Amino acid sequence: MASISLKYKSKQGSLTAPGDVDPGAMIPIATTTLSTATATVTFSSIPQEYEHLQIRMITRSTNTASTGGDWVFIRFNGDTGSNYTWHRLYGSGASGSADAATSQTSTRVGVSPRDGTTASAYGAGVCDILDYTNTNKYTTQRSLVGNDRNGSGEIVLYSGLWLNTNAITTITLLPEQDNFKQYSSFALYGIKRAGA
Amino acid sequence: MAYTYSKIATYTVGSGGVASISFLNIPQTYTDLIVSISARSTFSDNGVSLRTSFNNDTGNITVRELRGSGSAAASYSITYGQTGYLTAGLDTANTFGSASIYIPNYTSSNYKSSSADVVSENNATAAWAVLSARLWSSTSPITTITLAPADGNWAQYSSAHLYGIKAEL
Repeated sequence: MASISLKYKSKQGSLTAPGDVDPGAMIPIATTTLSTATATVTFSSIPQEYEHLQIRMITRSTNTASTGGDWVFIRFNGDTGSNYTWHRLYGSGASGSADAATSQTSTRVGVSPRDGTTASAYGAGVCDILDYTNTNKYTTQRSLVGNDRNGSGEIVLYSGLWLNTNAITTITLLPEQDNFKQYSSFALYGIKRAGA
Repeated sequence: MAYTYSKIATYTVGSGGVASISFLNIPQTYTDLIVSISARSTFSDNGVSLRTSFNNDTGNITVRELRGSGSAAASYSITYGQTGYLTAGLDTANTFGSASIYIPNYTSSNYKSSSADVVSENNATAAWAVLSARLWSSTSPITTITLAPADGNWAQYSSAHLYGIKAEL
């Protein structure tokens, strides 16, 4: 398990010092690039002052199969109960399809090439989690992800629902099987509220 | 990180709901715009069409859409302002759809292309996931964006957020 300390927080108040530049609305909260194969990646103690969260990731699985990809799962606040739903719009390069699953123990946000497929190929994905502190809303995540394995691959628009209104304080990412391969990278951003 | 992604405006729906959300007098100082939406319609159905218009023009719009229903996928050509589907009144309570609309070169004197990814979510198989590309056949700079459900009102706690992207020139 890789637990990431939070290095940056949104700047508050007036800018006074020379070089004290407003970094804009999209603030890097934490980033990790794996130095070794890792089973889970966790962002904990997530700041609550942003409007939205965004995760940007590149991933590869250590599963040695020579075909296919492994899904990337996500959990919120350490909840391992059957409280998640996902929906998928999927393109294989040859056809499109859609499916869904309810009562899951995680939802899905990515896809990783397996390690027996084209070397050095990683899947890419961006996951948006809007209004993550709003306790009137169940959490919805929306992810646009994909990978090409030089002859096969997939593109996916995922959505996921966490049946819980708690504000998100912890995010855990885990591979469908085995580990995330070395050099998989995960970055968490906070998107500021207008006027903040 | 460069100062390229800026917050412009946020609107959160209060009790009683609203028929639409409009961003008016959009600054013309950015390169691109992004609209983020977390919304639910009061309409009694599973999912509701999100209608997006620029400068109050509900015509002159053509759309290519890749749509998943939770069990099947298909592609459509549309000639009105549909920008996918968000959550509605028959979907799971407390659940809000999620959307991101990317509008590049919104001040240009060319026609305006935009793209969107939009999901409705629901604790059941049936829910919408849409990738959308659209063209607004107007050379006017975009100064107003209106977001409306095709039916019903935006429910309380729905929110829409406008951001500007400034290229490093």
